[in-house]
Amino acid sequence: MQHQKFLGSVAVAAAVLLLGACGASPTAAGPMPADGAGRSSVKAREVYDRINGLTGDERTRTLLDLARQEGTLSIYTSNTDLDKVIEKFEQTYPIEVKVYRGNSESVLQRVLQEQQANYDGNDLVETNAGELNVMADQKMLYPYKSALRDAVRKEGRADGWTATRFNVFVVGWNTTKVKPGEEPKSFEELADPKWKGRISLEVGDVDWFAAMYTYYLSQGKTDAEVRDLFSRVVANAKIAKGHTAQGELLSAGQFAVTASSYSHTIDKAAAQGAPVSWHPASGTPVQPIVIRPNGVALMKTAPHPAAAMLFVDYELSEGQKILHESSRVGSIPTANDPLAGLTTISVPEKEMLDNPKKWDALYEEFVQSGREVT
Amino acid sequence: MTTASPAVSARRGATLGWLRRLLTPKIAIIVVVAGLIGYLALVPLYYLIWGTFFDANGFTLGGFARAYGDPRVGDMIGNSLWFAVGAAVLSLCVGTALAYLNVRTDVPFKGLFFAASIIPLIIPGILYTIAWIFLASPDIGLLNKLIEPIFGPAFFDIFTVWGMVWVEGLHLSPIVFLLMVAAFRSMDPSLEESALMSGASRWQVFRRVTVPLTRPAIVAAVLVMVVRSLESFEVPALLGLQNGIYVFTSRIYFVLRSYPPDLAAAGALAVGLLVFALIGVAISNLVGRSGKTYQTVTGKGFRPRPMELGKWRPVMGAVIVLYFFFTVVGPLLVLLYTSLLKFYQAPSGEAFASMTFDNYRQLFDMSDAMTALKNSLVLGLGSATLVMILMAVGAWIVVRSRIPGRQLVDHLSFVPLVIPGLVLGLALSFVYLRSPIPIYGTIFILLIAYCTRYMPYGMRYAVTSMHQISAELEESAQVSGASWWQTFRRVLLPLLSPGLLAGWIYILVVSFRELSSSILLYSPGNEVLSILIFEQYENGQFTVLAALGVVMVLTLAVLVVIAYKLGAKVGLRQD
Repeated sequence: MQHQKFLGSVAVAAAVLLLGACGASPTAAGPMPADGAGRSSVKAREVYDRINGLTGDERTRTLLDLARQEGTLSIYTSNTDLDKVIEKFEQTYPIEVKVYRGNSESVLQRVLQEQQANYDGNDLVETNAGELNVMADQKMLYPYKSALRDAVRKEGRADGWTATRFNVFVVGWNTTKVKPGEEPKSFEELADPKWKGRISLEVGDVDWFAAMYTYYLSQGKTDAEVRDLFSRVVANAKIAKGHTAQGELLSAGQFAVTASSYSHTIDKAAAQGAPVSWHPASGTPVQPIVIRPNGVALMKTAPHPAAAMLFVDYELSEGQKILHESSRVGSIPTANDPLAGLTTISVPEKEMLDNPKKWDALYEEFVQSGREVT
Repeated sequence: MTTASPAVSARRGATLGWLRRLLTPKIAIIVVVAGLIGYLALVPLYYLIWGTFFDANGFTLGGFARAYGDPRVGDMIGNSLWFAVGAAVLSLCVGTALAYLNVRTDVPFKGLFFAASIIPLIIPGILYTIAWIFLASPDIGLLNKLIEPIFGPAFFDIFTVWGMVWVEGLHLSPIVFLLMVAAFRSMDPSLEESALMSGASRWQVFRRVTVPLTRPAIVAAVLVMVVRSLESFEVPALLGLQNGIYVFTSRIYFVLRSYPPDLAAAGALAVGLLVFALIGVAISNLVGRSGKTYQTVTGKGFRPRPMELGKWRPVMGAVIVLYFFFTVVGPLLVLLYTSLLKFYQAPSGEAFASMTFDNYRQLFDMSDAMTALKNSLVLGLGSATLVMILMAVGAWIVVRSRIPGRQLVDHLSFVPLVIPGLVLGLALSFVYLRSPIPIYGTIFILLIAYCTRYMPYGMRYAVTSMHQISAELEESAQVSGASWWQTFRRVLLPLLSPGLLAGWIYILVVSFRELSSSILLYSPGNEVLSILIFEQYENGQFTVLAALGVVMVLTLAVLVVIAYKLGAKVGLRQD
């Protein structure tokens, strides 16, 4: 037949198109220096350095002046409460904000993909500690300095980025399923067989797990003892996926206790009238409480560096109040600090960055071992 | 060809003549369509294969070791197969039965019935699954409370493999329903009638005549269902994890979770699925290939006439109402109920007293809600239409043409089914960030992603319909002097329309839910509804999410009914 070779040539044409578009191997890129010299980074660096050295009125005035000339700002974020901050920011300043919202993994992947392709999609990134640490590690971020940063809790003054709020992992319970006086006093207590089938763990809380694990090691427990503690807790647990579903099922009474809920999930539900709490009728909440910062960072290659800095200043001042209204724990302690007087521990960031697979695998192993016992 | 020596120019002349002979509309269309299918499939496949077999040090099989090296992998595959086959069988039975009743009998309330059969597909998986937890959890299930006086406590347990099969099977049943509706619509009832006349019982006719005639559709349905269930993560995550039931996709979740995502291991798992899926496609073609066996749309005129149920009509009506109460109305009522509350609680006087429309108000106050609805509509309508047009030609190439390598088109079109959404997103952003045509950052990259993701379904729907149409119709058109293109447009397309419409509805509906690749590829201003759903979910606003689910069901149900009414006007007429 005449057109015998057609599909062959079509396949070849498709492959040529494809290779033409790809050029390099797509996934072998790995860590790469993102110094971005010769791009907008030079201009951005000048602006950053200039503003980082200013304080007070002069800083605000210069920043506003430069930001107004830039006119727009592009933010990539996984923080779902940022919307309200952005809304107020746009009302306050004549700057149009474009927002990309995704989960923290997609924010990270997007930034990495774009930076590797020399595409300057965003000026600012607002996401979780782990993802920000990866970007800082890849030299994609530029340091931000201000008096506001100096006021942030020390756990939140990271290299390359600054915390804006904290995720607070608490032990929560359903107040109709757990009567006053019956509430757990400690995490270890959840290993007691009386909690069998009544508590819930979340399948993705590796950061919380790593923090608790290293905490117990630092308290003098042996590795075997810590493992034993976790396997006994897991034996009592039902595994949930996603903090929201877990929180909703806690309100509905599917679980009596959640070992690692976000405080804001519980506080928001309680404010709506749901029978949930992380504060016992008498006494203090279960401690230690794992806190993990979420933060903001300036992109080294930002096309709108002044607008980006203006936003960070805003989020660390006015923005803190707005975040507080959404039951979030801000990064700058206030008079009514929900964490005041409580023992908090941090996620071992360095360790998580250096050995992510180790902690993933260990938590996965625990979570999955639960079924043999049930 | 820039040099102009005489020998070359002579050869060029010959080539040009050869080209001119070949550049008929037929060849041009075939080449373009096959090229597009190949391009759409190969971009993510190349990315997947490269990521799976190559790392910084060259060729490696490390991904396979990490993916399948888990000592529990045997259990996982076992659970997965049990779950997938169970869900496929359930959806096949339910979807086929509903389709048969809807198309071939005079069952009451047909329009409503059609829309209701699609609803499980419209409700986002996470909402559908959580609604079932509220209904059939042994601890808090409303159904359990309802029947407790008769059957004792915790009669239903949704947190088992059977519960997973139930939820997934019902959620997927509309895919089968749509496929089978198309198949039954193109079936000549005289075959069944003659069997009846020859003394066969109704059941014998169904088993010996009806089912064999729709075998290509059944095989396609089983294939798509099994692969879909093997890939499904929402249902196993929400229902299985609680009691430690792990499936294949749990591994994909775990390997993709951390940074850097283990694309090699995820790819290794996807390659496993791919091999399985391609064997399925090959089997499905072998079954369909038996030439004339399934061609029920022939030169002989027929009018599909619904069978009269007679005294069974009210019984069937009651069965359907009961079925819909359990599978559609139940979960939908739970959603509606939840969407009016401040937080989920079991129904009580107090709960009803606290009901408000706040969640809906909040939904319509959202600045992006209207943009997102508009974008989702544009993308849904656009990708459904494009895919079905491409696949109509694609199906012709695969089923009707004698071009060598035509099977390749079929296999390629099926590839995206097994590619994880995240990998597709990464592959497309990688390519279009480097493309000179500015597609990255526009809505077109989403369109490309959706067309890629839904190509496999479109192809199954189109191929299945094509198997039913006899070649003699095209031949007689061509004998009467029609060109290939005229024949295609005036004869084939109308005859294919039940299948194309079914595929179109399916793609429209599921595109509203596509999240895993959209989330990486959308840009500010191009938000889609699934991003909004995700955001509300992340934000812990479950009740607002329920409200959004209700709005989606209403919007899409209206669209589906319109499409169904329009669809009934073209193609094969019914009495």
